[in-house]
Amino acid sequence: MKKFLPYIFILLIMAGIITIFLSRASQQQMLTVHEGNTEYKPLPIKLGHYQDTQCGMPIEHLMNSAQAIAPNGKTWFFDDVGCLAIWMQDKEFKDKLIIWVYAKDTKTWIDAHKAWYSLTDKTPMHYGFSAHTNKKENYIDFVSMQLRMLRNENMSNPHFRRELLGEH
Amino acid sequence: MIFFSNSVIVFIFIEALLLLLLSIAFINVVGILKSWDFSATSTKQYLLEKRSYLVLLIIFFTLGFKIILLPYFIYMIDELNVLVPGAMCAAGVINSNIYGVYLLSLKVRILFLVGLWIILNHYDLQAKDYPFFKKKLWLFILIFFLIIAESILDIFYLINIVTDTPVSCCSAIYGVSGISNPIPFDLHVSELLGLFYLLYGLTLISALYRYALLSLFSNMAFLYSAYYSVVYFFGTYVYELPTHLCPFCMLQAEYFYSGYFIWGTLFLGTFFGISAALLQYITGKEIKKMYRYSLAFNSAFILFCSSYVLLYYIRNGVFL
Repeated sequence: MKKFLPYIFILLIMAGIITIFLSRASQQQMLTVHEGNTEYKPLPIKLGHYQDTQCGMPIEHLMNSAQAIAPNGKTWFFDDVGCLAIWMQDKEFKDKLIIWVYAKDTKTWIDAHKAWYSLTDKTPMHYGFSAHTNKKENYIDFVSMQLRMLRNENMSNPHFRRELLGEH
Repeated sequence: MIFFSNSVIVFIFIEALLLLLLSIAFINVVGILKSWDFSATSTKQYLLEKRSYLVLLIIFFTLGFKIILLPYFIYMIDELNVLVPGAMCAAGVINSNIYGVYLLSLKVRILFLVGLWIILNHYDLQAKDYPFFKKKLWLFILIFFLIIAESILDIFYLINIVTDTPVSCCSAIYGVSGISNPIPFDLHVSELLGLFYLLYGLTLISALYRYALLSLFSNMAFLYSAYYSVVYFFGTYVYELPTHLCPFCMLQAEYFYSGYFIWGTLFLGTFFGISAALLQYITGKEIKKMYRYSLAFNSAFILFCSSYVLLYYIRNGVFL
């Protein structure tokens, strides 16, 4: 029996280690990055399972969500286009990103650079920018939306919120 | 500006001196390796043996110095934090450019090989027929090339330390961003700790029963898990602050330089555990001492780390 004692201990420890990894694997995992999207097309988002890379929130609705695809096929997901604008600002490859946003009016994925953004919509992070396929009055383009996000000129800023909603 | 610091001048001077000595040794080692024939009784072999004695002495001396130089390098980096805006400890200085982390990691690997060489040299000199002579010279050649790479990285790193733009402090580098889990395999701290103690158990069994292969893999895994456990769990008890995550701040006087003991015992414990297996493979002999040292240092490390948690709980009645 004494001869087998170390082997029994080793087996028990190995079982403990395997249990830790198995329990981790069985837990619900959030997906933040998808690799290998070399077709550069928008990926189907499983609601509640995909996590915004910038704010860390799970993506619960397709509306207002966005996806950014790097030249190497890595795809990041966002619950709010405002998060995307903040996230991409310091990326070296920001000019090479292919960005898809979910349009509120046509309910399809469209090129973020061709979309028009409303200013006062209700969005998950309360930035107020919602993507649209068709332009309407007061809608702004992608570059303007990004600038407003970086300057904190959006609905999450109480001062600008009052200004945008015409509250005085 | 960095080069005006006394500690940097001393460091570069010693590094250059050691590199010069190692280069001399390297040229001789290549010559010895080309003509070495221990069974020959020629004058050439006699001269080679005489020359090898001196060369080995130079190598032993310089590599021994390299061991002292790593703690000094860390101390120097820590001291430089006053010159680098934003840096609060060595973490900010190390991460002030892209070379720092690679340099530190290379230095630790070289230290490991240096330790291996010194032990191999010791057992080779003990035997009358120098059974590992060629092996240890080849190992030296590998170490020499790594030291050249290290010296180049040293220069690139020191030149590129920024003193005019702010760098991130340790809280920004190791802190929890709220977005992604920095612990590998997405483990929670409790799971990481479970893994840490279980792997220690494996190193314990491998040392007690002298299982070479198990000692090699369990010590490698233990080193990996221990690093993360110290940064993301035990370190918070050293600092007595749950948000303070840093492997370097504990090297400072405020924390009684405890980091040197923590990282030193971890390195020595895992080094002896891994070397026990490697040396068994190289020499074909089981070196019992190595297992004993591994057991002693790993146990000292785990006791020291755990005592921080235990003492904190006794004093405050709660965990962090």
